[in-house]
Amino acid sequence: MSTLIRTLIHSLLRTTLAWMLGALLAAGAAAQGWSPKTVELFESLPVQDGGRVKPTSTYANFLLLRLSGKTSLKLEDGTSLSHTQWLLDVMFQPEKAAGYPVFLVPDSDVLDAIGVGHEGKKKRDRYSLNDLKPGVMKLFELAQEYSRREAKLRSSLEQNVVTLAENINEYGGITGRMQLASIPPDVSIEQDPAWHSPEELFSRQRAGETLPAAHAAMLEDYLELAKRRDKSAEFEQQLEKIHGATLRLADARGEYDKIPLEIRYYDLGLIHWSLYTFLLSFVLVAFTWLFGRSRALYAGAISLAAIATVLLSIAIAMRCVIRDRPPVSTLYETVIFITAVGCLVGLFAEWVQRNRLAVSATAILGVVGVFIANGYETLDKRDTMPSLVAVLDTNFWLATHVTAITIGYAAGLFAAILASIFLLSKLFQISRKDKSYYTSLTRMTYGVLCFGVIFSTVGTILGGIWANDSWGRFWGWDPKENGALLIVLSQLVILHLRMGGHVRDFGIAMLAAFGGIIVAFSWWGVNLLGVGLHSYGFTSGISTALNTYYIVQAGIMVLGAIGHLIELSRQQSQVPETVSFASDGQGSAS
Amino acid sequence: MKLLQRIVDVFSSLWLSALLLSLLALLTWLGTLEQVDHGLYEVQKKYFESFFLFHEVGPISIPLPGANLVMWLLLVNIVIGGVVRMRKTKATIGVLITHLGIILLLVAGFVKNYFSTDGHITLFEGESADYYQSYYRWELAILEEQADGTVAEHILSHDQVAACIGAEGRVFRSSTLPFEVRLTHFLKNSRPMPKGPMFEVKVPVADGLFLSELEPEPEAEANVAGVCVTVTGRDGSQQSGLLWGVERAPLTVRMAGKRYGLTLRHERYPMPFEVQLLDFIKEDHPRMAMAKAFESDVKVREDGSERTVKIEMNAPLRDRGLVLYQASWGPQNAGPQTPLFSTLSVVSNPADQYPFYACIVIAVGMLLHFLMKLARHLRSQQSKREAVS
Repeated sequence: MSTLIRTLIHSLLRTTLAWMLGALLAAGAAAQGWSPKTVELFESLPVQDGGRVKPTSTYANFLLLRLSGKTSLKLEDGTSLSHTQWLLDVMFQPEKAAGYPVFLVPDSDVLDAIGVGHEGKKKRDRYSLNDLKPGVMKLFELAQEYSRREAKLRSSLEQNVVTLAENINEYGGITGRMQLASIPPDVSIEQDPAWHSPEELFSRQRAGETLPAAHAAMLEDYLELAKRRDKSAEFEQQLEKIHGATLRLADARGEYDKIPLEIRYYDLGLIHWSLYTFLLSFVLVAFTWLFGRSRALYAGAISLAAIATVLLSIAIAMRCVIRDRPPVSTLYETVIFITAVGCLVGLFAEWVQRNRLAVSATAILGVVGVFIANGYETLDKRDTMPSLVAVLDTNFWLATHVTAITIGYAAGLFAAILASIFLLSKLFQISRKDKSYYTSLTRMTYGVLCFGVIFSTVGTILGGIWANDSWGRFWGWDPKENGALLIVLSQLVILHLRMGGHVRDFGIAMLAAFGGIIVAFSWWGVNLLGVGLHSYGFTSGISTALNTYYIVQAGIMVLGAIGHLIELSRQQSQVPETVSFASDGQGSAS
Repeated sequence: MKLLQRIVDVFSSLWLSALLLSLLALLTWLGTLEQVDHGLYEVQKKYFESFFLFHEVGPISIPLPGANLVMWLLLVNIVIGGVVRMRKTKATIGVLITHLGIILLLVAGFVKNYFSTDGHITLFEGESADYYQSYYRWELAILEEQADGTVAEHILSHDQVAACIGAEGRVFRSSTLPFEVRLTHFLKNSRPMPKGPMFEVKVPVADGLFLSELEPEPEAEANVAGVCVTVTGRDGSQQSGLLWGVERAPLTVRMAGKRYGLTLRHERYPMPFEVQLLDFIKEDHPRMAMAKAFESDVKVREDGSERTVKIEMNAPLRDRGLVLYQASWGPQNAGPQTPLFSTLSVVSNPADQYPFYACIVIAVGMLLHFLMKLARHLRSQQSKREAVS
């Protein structure tokens, strides 16, 4: 905790210095925006951040997301700035940037606490550094006090104060400064993996160190860049020179080849496009249910679901190439991978059954899955392709255990969606007289469970074998391991009960729907417990969403049970009266 | 005979399989949630290594079978119902193979449970060890100085020491020692405290100190055991003291003109080879305080020969039934120039590789079974479509 206090105090000093420096730098800064080429050069400039080399645009994207909860900025005069344009302003026109409403304050009680007025603003709104300046000293004072408390014991006001102070601290570290690690060492990656910021090289040079020629030249270029920030054309020219020099050094170290692909990945926005396509597919499939089965609508719904799945799969493949990793290594990636696999399973099931049910579930899973992925990205506010802790840094186990277990999750969730459709259909008496509708749903649920149990079981055992190689034990009853085991056990229970004839359509649907709760607990719930060896997956702030899912899924089960009971009572009331046969062969009703 | 038949029927039934699997799931879930308050070690003992337990829900205690019992029953169920009595046809071959794999997995668990030991070696660079020590178990070592300057050790095991609870405790004698040792007031987690004049304690006080009992830590390796000791010579002379798990120096007593040391320490297990830490490398991600890799370069000496081995995350050393893993390092607050130590986990588990084989068998069995089912289903769908058209 004392580290945080020290950091905050340093930050305060740094921010003050940065403002002073910014004011000096910004004197006479150009009022007009940056040229398109300047923005293009800057966004593709590689920087080292979070343990990896990435385009500046990725850095700017997540920084702005952290500070403002958005990846672009809308100014009060209605103009919009991309994250890269914003970062250019923050670094080279700090006085101007200080007026941008970039700091998200989730509740105005934070401003009351630090004595900053908020007339005319909403309870949750964004403020500029200039707006907050009068209260910054008080903010840091309070943050210092609140940060002594454990995060989980802080009130929402206290947490908001600490977060705002941290955000200003982070902003202070870059505004009007050249703190980004954008200069690669001029030796191999093995000899020196860490990049340098212009400021670091400047300090070393001032301390009397003789810099390598390439670095001395780049430092000179950066100083020239700062001098030309108010001359758009010269700035662009100087940035181009720096860009070229950086690329040469980075390329020689093998650290540039993935940068263009990463820029392309974010430019394409495939995951967003897949969301829109899944939504369209959902709309078409809904039409087929509402207005009768039309061959064109059905074909359209399937095609759109398939296109959306392909878009998602391409996005996953691009991420694999960018990071040289298997598809799943972070919680964010589990979401998009589970969605893609679930949708593939759904499309396969639709191909087998061809009755609109699986494609409906696919569209639902696609929309919900990508929506969750986007929500998680916004909530987490961190690079979704981060460096991994030592134990996870193994492509073999990520490719086998993690991939297998995640496919198991996908199957479990898809089965839960199919089961939920079954239960809700019972409640709303959909296709009441069409027995094949329910049989088909049950058959698909069973098929998906069979598919899932293979991957859940093999994935769980592979996890044990990995644990045996990493921690010296096959099974340690760690919460994440237990979560995986729960999925396997629940799926095996369903298969055994079905095989023994102890459950049929309705029972399978109820158990498979409950399986969704188990998957959610294993996937997210155990991480929220905050214990165990798998704490690298910990994410705060998702418990509300998770509890909502538990309640909704349990609610569907209860409603489905009610629907089932109604149907049973109706069937009983429709049972023909018992007919007995008199000895003379004539029937009589009794 | 009918009764036996009925028992066999019950033990081979599918509903029993489902019941046992459900019970195991319930215990797994309860044990997971309990870890938040009680830590893994306690929960593991209570829910997963036990035969029976009481689960507390507020003031109510609910009796439940322990996971150990459930898994034994599951083994019986799967052997009788899933292998011996199961119909053996082409359609069930996959299930049969899967069940054999599960049996192998369960056997691996039982072998590990009953026949494995685990512990760690913690070394600074240059140091070596030919034993590893437990994280949780304690032993009392009586050190006897030999005429040639070496030290002989007489050991009381964890089970012997941990049984010495209360004022009565237990007395231990050995024909090779000129004294008997009485151990009392064993505490699983304790701390020596100075005995002030303003309060009384019900436990022995030695040199102004007494052992104060502490709540068990959620992380069991953080517990420090303590025990009170009284050494009585054959001539009736007595010396008493406190033994605390992390005391740096042993308690020394002089008996029959000879000096002895008594120390409470983590249980030690000899290794058939010696390991020397040559170099420990901790590499962080550039410009981050996040570890990218840990690596211990060690020299392994055995049978007069020596070789250098690299032990790193996900790449342990396997030798003569022991497996050495890169577990951790320290001190955690080390500065750039602070020497680091490396902790290697050591496990002796005869069933070390069984899960790997089981995994292959299960995967083959399940794939076979479900692919056959899928093929049958696809064929039937196809013929239905053909019939319609």
